[in-house]
Amino acid sequence: MSPKNVFVAILMAVALAMGIFLGVRTQAPEEPLAAFVLPAPTPLPEFALVDQSGNTVTRDTFRGRWSLVFFGFTHCPDICPTTLQILATAQEELAESARSPLPRIVLVSVDPERDTPELMGRYLDYFGDGHLGITGSLDELKKLTTALGIFFEKQPGTDENYSVDHSAAVLVINPAAEFHALFSGSHKADNFVHDLPLILASY
Amino acid sequence: MRIIQLSLLLLTAACSQETPAPLVASDVVITRPLPGMTMSAGYLSLSNNSDATIRITRVTSAQFESVQLHETTIENGVSRMRAIAALEIPAGETLTLQRGGKHLMLMRPTMSSETVSLRFLDGDNPVLTVDANFESGVE
Repeated sequence: MSPKNVFVAILMAVALAMGIFLGVRTQAPEEPLAAFVLPAPTPLPEFALVDQSGNTVTRDTFRGRWSLVFFGFTHCPDICPTTLQILATAQEELAESARSPLPRIVLVSVDPERDTPELMGRYLDYFGDGHLGITGSLDELKKLTTALGIFFEKQPGTDENYSVDHSAAVLVINPAAEFHALFSGSHKADNFVHDLPLILASY
Repeated sequence: MRIIQLSLLLLTAACSQETPAPLVASDVVITRPLPGMTMSAGYLSLSNNSDATIRITRVTSAQFESVQLHETTIENGVSRMRAIAALEIPAGETLTLQRGGKHLMLMRPTMSSETVSLRFLDGDNPVLTVDANFESGVE
């Protein structure tokens, strides 16, 4: 084999290898690592709650942008701040890689007795700007949680010191105000950074 | 003379080798109460260097009115936080208090302070004192 033929043979081998590589990549599109995407998104129910500034929050509040919704309460020193920090970290990393649009982080209180709008505002400000805190009457809260399959239950304790069991999931709400996907606990920032662009791209 | 010198040397060496404390704390993280809150959390690892199980039934702090032993669990997708009666560290093992698991819940700060001192007790018997700086917040 002449040197020229050897060169051509190498070129062909490289081209073949690249073809196989690209072929494999296009055959297996990336899948979410942690999120479960609903086969058919579910519209949010009718409800009327308030945000941290006292403004009314309804289903329409969720229209026009993506939201990451977490259910928790401010008198929770362990899992709630940890989850909010994970979401804030994921949001920062997505912003750094110029992935847009960035979903808004939403905390829905499952402890509306103690979580006043003012308290929600001070608490959420700690985790960054632009987050939405939702609280209000227990009846209106239950309209939302029941429709979404979110569980919460106040535990016995004193006025100041009681805990609330609650679903650990983070819900992805799409810009049509529909329940679109679900991250079940335990949460990792990397999972949100990996999965959210895929979910948004396939919408 | 040479033997005495050698003996002294061995004795010095033996004395300088510190006997490890029965219970040693490491990786201590005490969060500050978040804005508007009167509670925060404490995380650390407790290593038992003794040959018997060590129990911690309560924790006190000058900087907080109350410290409780808590555990967060996630079962069937539901997060629960419960008080636990004691921390048990078997001989030779390390118990890690961490986010989303066993942790200390520190309630109602009594003073403005940059540091926090924690006393770990088994009943009324002091077992360990840990001094740490507050961390700025959750990481």
